[in-house]
Amino acid sequence: MTVWTPMDDGFADLSSHDTFTSGAPHNTFARLRREDPLAWSDFPGGKGFWSVTRHADIMELNRDNKLLSSARGIRMEDQTYEEYLARRTFQETDPPEHTRVRTLVAKAFSKPVIALFEEQIRVLCDEILDQAFQSREMDAVKLIARQLPMRMLGRIIGTPEEDLDWLVEKGDALIANTDPDFTDHVLDKTDTDAYRFMPFRSPAGADLFDYAKRLMEDKRRRGDDSGVLSLITRPDAEGNVISETEFRNFFCLLVAAGNDTTRYSIAAGLHALAHQPGLLADLQSGDGGIWETMPDEVIRWASPAMYFRRTATRDFEMHGKQVREGDKVLFWFVSGNRDEAAFEDPMRVDFRRTPNRHLSFGQGGAHVCLGMWLARLEVRLLFQEFAKRVRTIEQTAPHSFLRSNFVGGIKSLPVRITLQ
Amino acid sequence: MMAHITWILPDGRQIAADVADGVNLMNAAAMANVPGIIGECGGCLSCATCHVYVDEAWQEKTGEADGTEDAMLDATDAPRRDSSRLSCQIVAGPALDGLVLHVPG
Repeated sequence: MTVWTPMDDGFADLSSHDTFTSGAPHNTFARLRREDPLAWSDFPGGKGFWSVTRHADIMELNRDNKLLSSARGIRMEDQTYEEYLARRTFQETDPPEHTRVRTLVAKAFSKPVIALFEEQIRVLCDEILDQAFQSREMDAVKLIARQLPMRMLGRIIGTPEEDLDWLVEKGDALIANTDPDFTDHVLDKTDTDAYRFMPFRSPAGADLFDYAKRLMEDKRRRGDDSGVLSLITRPDAEGNVISETEFRNFFCLLVAAGNDTTRYSIAAGLHALAHQPGLLADLQSGDGGIWETMPDEVIRWASPAMYFRRTATRDFEMHGKQVREGDKVLFWFVSGNRDEAAFEDPMRVDFRRTPNRHLSFGQGGAHVCLGMWLARLEVRLLFQEFAKRVRTIEQTAPHSFLRSNFVGGIKSLPVRITLQ
Repeated sequence: MMAHITWILPDGRQIAADVADGVNLMNAAAMANVPGIIGECGGCLSCATCHVYVDEAWQEKTGEADGTEDAMLDATDAPRRDSSRLSCQIVAGPALDGLVLHVPG
């Protein structure tokens, strides 16, 4: 399948959220990889930034957190130091500080511990598809892709089922803070100054914080120390406990990150099934080996976290360009994932692609996605159950993309299916 | 200088490579295409996907995991053993010439 992005003449403005409403500008990324692999962009919202677009360069630079730090912000937008302190999570720290928090939660998200959720997730997939397929025509993002990560998040955090819709609505308002479909406080269009100390500069951060505090108090009262949140509120070996701000930000990170990335991966996978002939049949071929490789290909194809930013801690030169201390440097994972030098036929979905050294999880650096095993498992099980039931899937009306230069994905996908 | 390193796969197959001094053995395994050693975080102690069992004869020379590596060894896919190390934290050098590592099944 080729992705035709008519708005993209090869010189798209990467700083504009509107650019991404027709999908990621792959023509522009292809040109940058070819002609200008360390490209400067002006940014109307603040200081300009560098874009790293080649797979090999991202891998090389991502490892070097002494040269390129996460501790001055990880988005394109500038932050004051006060805003940074108020809003940071361990995503916005470097080793060894990052490592301290990471090791607290690493086991809970490790492959064998996540694998224990398999049957639970399969049951959820069954329920979701039962419900979605009550009609043969549906918005596959709303009724399928959005549902699974949302319900799993509830299990991981330990929230009651009835709170999930509210929770995900708030999570959407945080991470999709540039899309008027998801928030009334659109980041680049309304005055969000009052929320500058809130996660994602969004009032939803405050609502989530109150919720998280209540949840933890309830759990404490009941003597319930299960779940991921208890891991980070427990004192560490030296007796340190995290501050309320740190806890709030970690909770918001879980709600936001554990939600939309997997949703947009599933959405991209369903879109591919509807457009690339043979993919669904491939899943139904009876060859179990395909399930080892397909989740990573779906996640490569989707690249929902399109970039993360670092900040140069000293001057350096690369590709004939001079990067200065304090300059913002963006790793465009979405571009690395389509790099012709790293992938054969990168614009094609190949569920058997191996090896598949994609960058969707931020591979090659300390901040590699904590939830990657959960994401892979959710994608595998959803598509396994989908392939058992569905005979055909076709798109019935145009899809639409999230308005965001940060998180990329299809937010609505009207489809018609026939069952086996 | 190079150190001769051998990886023994769960099915008994062996892969060997001469690894330049100073290269960590997660990167060396990636270059030698050793299946089962992934190294998702590039050697930053964030992922535990380069887990190996050090052959008994070599455990003294490679030493024991400590600090963050020790903590991350609780997050490996295959069960942790006394001989468990994250191979990104083992660096090739003259003392390890001939080292044998077992890739977990």
